[in-house]
Amino acid sequence: MTNPLPLKGIRVVNFGWVWAGPVVGQTLGFLGAEVLKIESAARVDMTRNLPPFADGVPGPNRSLSNHACWAGNGSVSLNLKEPEALELALRLIATADVVVENFGPGVMERLGLGYERLREARPDIILFSMPAAGLSGPLEHVRTYGLSLTSLTGLDSLVGYVGGDPIPVENAFSDPYAGIFGAFAVLTALNHQRNSGEGQHIDFSQQEAVMQMVGPAYMDYVLNGRSGSPKSNRHPTNAAAPHGVFPCRGDDRWISIAVCRDDEWQGLVAAMGSPDWAAAPELSTAPGRVSRIDELHERIAAWTCESDDHELAARLQEHGVAASPVLNVGDLLHDPHYTARGTFIAVTHPLGFRETIYGAYVKTSRSRPEVCPGPAIGQDNERVFKGLLGIPDAEYERLTRDRIIY
Amino acid sequence: MKAHNPAAPGALAGIRVIDFGQMVSAPYCAKLFGDYGADVLKVELPEGDAARRAGPFPADAPHPERSGLYFINNTNKRGITCNVATAQGRELFLRLLESTDVLIENNLPQRMRVWGLDYATLAATNPDLVVISITPFGQTGPYSGWNGYDLNAYHLTGASSRYCGRPGETPLEHGTFAADYFGAVTAAAWGLGAVYGRGQAGGGQQLDVSCAEAIAATFVGGQNIGCYAQEGRFDKRTGVGMPLGAPATIMPCRDGHVWMLALEPGQWNGLRKVMGDPEWASLDMFQDMYSRAQNADVIYEFLREWTMQHGKMEIMEKCQAAGCPVTAVFTIEEAANQPHLKARDYFVDMEHPELGRLKNLGAPFKLPASPGGPTRPAPLLGQHNEEVYGERLGLTAADVRRLARDGIV
Repeated sequence: MTNPLPLKGIRVVNFGWVWAGPVVGQTLGFLGAEVLKIESAARVDMTRNLPPFADGVPGPNRSLSNHACWAGNGSVSLNLKEPEALELALRLIATADVVVENFGPGVMERLGLGYERLREARPDIILFSMPAAGLSGPLEHVRTYGLSLTSLTGLDSLVGYVGGDPIPVENAFSDPYAGIFGAFAVLTALNHQRNSGEGQHIDFSQQEAVMQMVGPAYMDYVLNGRSGSPKSNRHPTNAAAPHGVFPCRGDDRWISIAVCRDDEWQGLVAAMGSPDWAAAPELSTAPGRVSRIDELHERIAAWTCESDDHELAARLQEHGVAASPVLNVGDLLHDPHYTARGTFIAVTHPLGFRETIYGAYVKTSRSRPEVCPGPAIGQDNERVFKGLLGIPDAEYERLTRDRIIY
Repeated sequence: MKAHNPAAPGALAGIRVIDFGQMVSAPYCAKLFGDYGADVLKVELPEGDAARRAGPFPADAPHPERSGLYFINNTNKRGITCNVATAQGRELFLRLLESTDVLIENNLPQRMRVWGLDYATLAATNPDLVVISITPFGQTGPYSGWNGYDLNAYHLTGASSRYCGRPGETPLEHGTFAADYFGAVTAAAWGLGAVYGRGQAGGGQQLDVSCAEAIAATFVGGQNIGCYAQEGRFDKRTGVGMPLGAPATIMPCRDGHVWMLALEPGQWNGLRKVMGDPEWASLDMFQDMYSRAQNADVIYEFLREWTMQHGKMEIMEKCQAAGCPVTAVFTIEEAANQPHLKARDYFVDMEHPELGRLKNLGAPFKLPASPGGPTRPAPLLGQHNEEVYGERLGLTAADVRRLARDGIV
């Protein structure tokens, strides 16, 4: 398995910070691109200071969550407030195919790195920008956090218990989603560049990309004028029942069960020992089951609550029923499925400590992605500035001493 | 914004895709290829994609050509039927793959094996074919033989236990096909990478995408797994947006809800100003985000008194102007009518033979040099049988009629 990775030879300069931007770089990195994050010790990214730290020792190169989310990005350090640093960034961009950034609209221009300036450095450059609500429009400067961005898409209005208020999702689902989605956008532009020779400035509004997930509820609004409300774990278009999460034996243990076809319902009935109530003729069709979903869910919960979640899932699967245990974070690391697929792996960081991150979460049959640990700030400085840009040793020393490369 | 030139070829022009999927994950992945100019052919079994039966339907009246879910995830595709469970249908399917760059499918692995369409067979048919297989659990591992849907995949990721729902109550998914969409986007990125770099990599390959694994790794694992591996401890959902800082959660207001966020000092001071500098807000215990969180019950009660007197748009506008990142929690209706999204041409008008003229979500991102987005409506079942079997396999109209009579198409 030594086939070259598909994007070998593509160079990406990544100004991305926090989470979504670095994930764009990480995704392209898994596919073989060389990704160089530009950052600076003059203004350390807040996620580099998030605990817990490797071996419990605080430091900007030791945040475990930062490393997992940024792994695959290389790092060069430039203090962009210095004109010489800006020139070095542009020299690097002249050797690159793609520039990625997730600042607000206008920030790259203020840094002296607007699209027109980048084109002077490299005429066919692809600039990928992913501001919260796009590069233009009335909300162009809207301030959101990753975890609240979804409020602008309608998605948050669907999350919660039926009949209740919306419940917040407690982390930014949209960050890795938009980050991976962004890698697809970059690849479309790379393909266009190969076909036509021209680059472009991609306007990737995270709001618009994430709102695509709201499609099913949006269609109910378009077709029926209904606006939707919190759905618990019910089927998004109310086409299936039972469809929910049910309690199991133990503290905070649950099982998910989704019955989308009539033969799966028969399997569930058999697994439950064919109770009398389940023999009601209207329950043999999906519309009948959907119309009695509350009662159905109550009955099933009364049946699941004495069972072990994993054992019950396996038993239901034997009956052809789609069921899975609801895993918590502690379950993930030792779950036999994720273990077999190598989802999480321990790696050695350049600074010598061990850390557990995620590996290639897509399995590719021809080319095996390399898994890199999270980058240390400036870890690629010498290779890039001396090797790639040909800066003489003495000059490199001066730039480092003057905190240009910093 | 630059004017779009609709005549410009799409960024993915020349890439031939077959969508042999149902419901959301594979169809949406293939739709993304179609949005940007790939030639996407939807191949359905004679009974059609299950999304045709999933709705939403106008007036809730089921009709296989009026499903909103099918409509939104199958634009820009031509559609044919093919019964791959028959020897002749399977043969036609494999012949179509000979001239195809990408197959996108989301059938359970055992189903593809039963049809004789496992990856080894597909690769022997066309070594350059990129096969994107999107399933809840993946092609390998102890759960790969399990039956599963979006819901089962999502709850296998740790995301619901960790991040969504009240403590002790049912962990929640997000009210949509969150795992399927996440898997679809993951598959599109990795799959297009494999197509783009096919020459470099030395040919086609299979991409095994597990919707559960993608979320467990990048969303939940990224933030939590290093901590658990090193320290053996982990957190669970709290029902509050951010338990360690405040205010940071969804709160009710006069006409709905707002995402209340004021963490940094500048944000908090902005919020105080918008509220008219109430006396309680100057108390010592409310002067940093951590102590505000320690006094969450008190501060959320005070804030609620204020939010309940104001509308969501007013709160959002005033807070945003004061440097505080509060946003309105838009209902679907409000999201669908936003002036911002209208100004950006995010909504497009389409014409469908059964649904009539209707709105749709437009391109997910804007490529000025090679714009994308849906232009042609989802195909009717078997709509392009004659055209496609003729063009791709050289069959005559009479051949296709015979295949229809034999139940192949």
